[in-house]
Amino acid sequence: MVMERIIETDSPEAFIEEIEKVQDVLPKRIDANPKNVEKGLARLVLTLIELIRKLLEKQAMRRVAGGSLSDEEIEKVGLTLLKLENKMKELKEIFGLKDEELNLNLGPLGDLI
Amino acid sequence: MNRPIKTLQDKDSYLDLQKEKRITLLEVLDRALDKGVVISGDIVISIADVDLIYLGLKVLLSSIETMERLRGAPFSGAAEEPT
Amino acid sequence: MKIYAYGIIDSHHRLEEPIAGLYGKVIYNVSYRDIAVAVSELNEETKKIIDACILEHEKVVERLMIKFTVLPMRFLTVLNTREELLSMVEFYYEDFKDNLARLHNKVEFGIKVIWPADTIKKRITDAYHKTIRVSLPTEPPGKIFLEEKFKKYIIDKEFQEEADRCVIVVDDYFNKIAVEKKLKRLQTESLLLNASYLVDKDRQNEFSQAFEQLKNASSELKFLFSGPWPCYNFVTLTKGPAPVDYFNPGDILDRLLKPQEQ
Repeated sequence: MVMERIIETDSPEAFIEEIEKVQDVLPKRIDANPKNVEKGLARLVLTLIELIRKLLEKQAMRRVAGGSLSDEEIEKVGLTLLKLENKMKELKEIFGLKDEELNLNLGPLGDLI
Repeated sequence: MNRPIKTLQDKDSYLDLQKEKRITLLEVLDRALDKGVVISGDIVISIADVDLIYLGLKVLLSSIETMERLRGAPFSGAAEEPT
Repeated sequence: MKIYAYGIIDSHHRLEEPIAGLYGKVIYNVSYRDIAVAVSELNEETKKIIDACILEHEKVVERLMIKFTVLPMRFLTVLNTREELLSMVEFYYEDFKDNLARLHNKVEFGIKVIWPADTIKKRITDAYHKTIRVSLPTEPPGKIFLEEKFKKYIIDKEFQEEADRCVIVVDDYFNKIAVEKKLKRLQTESLLLNASYLVDKDRQNEFSQAFEQLKNASSELKFLFSGPWPCYNFVTLTKGPAPVDYFNPGDILDRLLKPQEQ
């Protein structure tokens, strides 16, 4: 005997809001329109660059946490990351891309970034 | 434990019903959309790949209501008839 | 005439009660040895399956659950011909049998938890400020940038660890009652936990009671309880594409960095 299905919550709005964020149900169509092809390519390339940039940042964080960087190295790494971040901001502006757009959905694996 | 969907304090509020239906839908989507027996490969065609239209939750809610009207009973198996 | 599949059931007999499926078509069994697939037909004219059909799909699976053990198909599993359907069942037969045995007499419950993410972040940030000396603006720019980044990194790390601790506390209520579980942490900053529990039918009430205890024990957390459901989250197929690890989105960066860890 299975009890009748219930859905119980005291905060329906809160859960609707969060679950809707998770349910990215909009089908992503591949747009072959030539006008948008460039933007599509830029999105792909910048997504990959963004991935690498974030990897570099994460790696730097681990080294800072490990205390293995000298003062000069800290400055050098910091400046490099700063320049990379600023460059990415520039490129995003040029191609009119937002942060949320620079991502790849890998299906069951979730999002790349 | 034979309770229907737990209603909020104001039973008659249409808005509350809307929220509950949204949650039902979201909960079903959370499961049936990509879990269960997932068969892939050439033998499975997904009509949806080409034709799935995401209507947005607002339109879906009216679809649920239409379905309920056609069946003459609240969707989720709730014991009470709408007054 | 295409075939829409709803689930795998542990019986090869004809369905006694009529069940209506998508577009009002009758559900019938296509049997293979001692199991069957519950299906209905799709006309050529049915070119569009809209999202609302997912509720019909779910309704069918739940009807089937009354009499049988059901492995629910993922929504929108459509096959071209009966022959393809049969060869699919043949391919997955051992998997289906294993799952039908494992999931016999079981149901799935869902627990979602929202926690006060902003409050917790603030608490962690305040604690951080107390312990770490923040650089003056006169320091070199690279150093300042790195320190800011590091601050975010540490706060986020602590946030994740706090989430893990909190999830353990919640899970503790259900651990002993459930047979299996699937936990998804922090799908969003506020959605602390999205959990699915596999529970024996005989222990449904026990599980509900455990939830009531959890609700009473917590004032900071918000809960969503749903179920019983068909066992969507607990069907495991060993054949076909390799099963994907159950892990958090955004873990990919961490996985890529793993070999470099000390």
